[in-house]
Amino acid sequence: MSSQFMRSKLINVCRLDNNTLVVHGVLDDSIYSLELDFKVELAGLGCFDVEGRWLRWTTPECPRSLEFIRLVEGLKLTDPVSERVHKTLGRRSCRHYANLFLEMVYAVRETVRMLELDLPGAALSEPEPPAEADEAGDEPEKVSSTVASPERTASRGFSQKPAGGFIVDLHLHTAPASPCASDSVAEMIVVAKKRGLDGICLTDHNYLWSEKEVQKLRERHDFLILRGNEVVTDQGDMLVFGFHEEIRGVVRLRDLKEQVAARGGFIIAAHPFRGFLTFAADDIGLTVESASRREMFKWVDGVEVLNGRVTENENRLAREVAAALHLPATGGSDAHQVSEVGRCATLFPAPFHDETGLVAALRSGDYRPLSLSGD
Amino acid sequence: MPRNIPLFTFNRCTSVEVVGDNELRSVCRLRDSVTDAEIAVNVRLPDLEIIGISGYFHHDRLQPPADLDAHLRRVVGVRVGSGMLKIIAGLLGEDENCRQLVYMVEECCHGVILNLTRKVLLQAPDDEAGSFAFFSGLVKKSTRLYDRCAAYAAGSPLVREFEAEKQERESSS
Repeated sequence: MSSQFMRSKLINVCRLDNNTLVVHGVLDDSIYSLELDFKVELAGLGCFDVEGRWLRWTTPECPRSLEFIRLVEGLKLTDPVSERVHKTLGRRSCRHYANLFLEMVYAVRETVRMLELDLPGAALSEPEPPAEADEAGDEPEKVSSTVASPERTASRGFSQKPAGGFIVDLHLHTAPASPCASDSVAEMIVVAKKRGLDGICLTDHNYLWSEKEVQKLRERHDFLILRGNEVVTDQGDMLVFGFHEEIRGVVRLRDLKEQVAARGGFIIAAHPFRGFLTFAADDIGLTVESASRREMFKWVDGVEVLNGRVTENENRLAREVAAALHLPATGGSDAHQVSEVGRCATLFPAPFHDETGLVAALRSGDYRPLSLSGD
Repeated sequence: MPRNIPLFTFNRCTSVEVVGDNELRSVCRLRDSVTDAEIAVNVRLPDLEIIGISGYFHHDRLQPPADLDAHLRRVVGVRVGSGMLKIIAGLLGEDENCRQLVYMVEECCHGVILNLTRKVLLQAPDDEAGSFAFFSGLVKKSTRLYDRCAAYAAGSPLVREFEAEKQERESSS
């Protein structure tokens, strides 16, 4: 039995003087090899003198990451730093440096605990998660024969819509309800109207908008705004409509289905094949047949086959699986900022005016995904 | 204490191996000054579904759940891939006693992804022009690489062609 991949991380923490720790880390694996050094002042656990070195890397441009290695200088390691490290070091420099840095933060915190230093408010043992591939592009395309095609407007960008349809973006996030979104609901609504949508569904992550709030928004903007929810389940993210119970944490999809069905709601598998940075589903041998056997498809009422933030291949696989399973197919932008609103949507044949109407329309199966993006 | 003797040492090793037809086993081991732990995750291809998990966890201060294997089995059925971090953390719990455990499960999953990534990278040519073409081609295939790190940041030579094609598509549509 031989290892195909191995990653080792070695870290040590020494005392430079009475006020300073010096931290050295090495990440060496079957792809990369890199080192990181920094110092920490013991009084407040501030991080300084950050230096990095590449020993092995992949792309010809990886060494550019060293230009940004000092972005973490000044961080107080008493505070939760994971998100900031991923957004700065991980995004602007390299996620492998971010990964090693966070391991080193853990080592510093454990050292401080061992030294029994009294530091106020410290979450000192918090190991923080590695960065993950979750960014996506979007591509409209042709479809399999059995599932409705994502229709594409002939116009440039988002400016026009097909005549005679009712277009709703079923998947949209707003700030601050979704911490990962950057624009407010009011900004999203203004852009949705401008781009010719007939309505939007607010599907913030595990967040429940109140009917009163949404009614106010409808009146203020004279626009159809409906409530949904993007729920994290053991089988991935699910768009839920017609179900207004608060959900905390991760739920089993099977249990969610039971609850939603009892209230007459509708569940759509969101971006079911959102994947990885450097390889695609077909690179690992995932076929429509094997993908269709996934447990999640036993419990959903529909499949999002046109998501504004995933790749063309990932949307294609979702469409083909939906077709194979005869599940209704929807589209949604998954917008997290105004520039993404309405990239993808769902085209219904007739208008509806409330959540009951939306669920009835979804149950009818008479709709199709639609790309309004110029891409 | 001499200044060149570490106060704290840390060694984390994650390895991925083939254990049967369409099955990988990823093991994360952590030995540091206060921890001795190991988590092993079995993943079935091509779905990358977690089909087995076990481990042990000893720490000077933290107490893992009493029946650790039963606790870990909450993640059986979860797929390695996008969105897995929040699912794993949600299923295993995020209190202090579980954080390192959660991290180790995630490291196992990242090992699986990196193992598959390595197979793609092994196709990169050695020569300068070939290597450049290969890596600039990756961002065209997977647009989520764009602006993901310094190498693929806007304006980097690796994304110039991608940016030009994107602009052309937008102006012609």
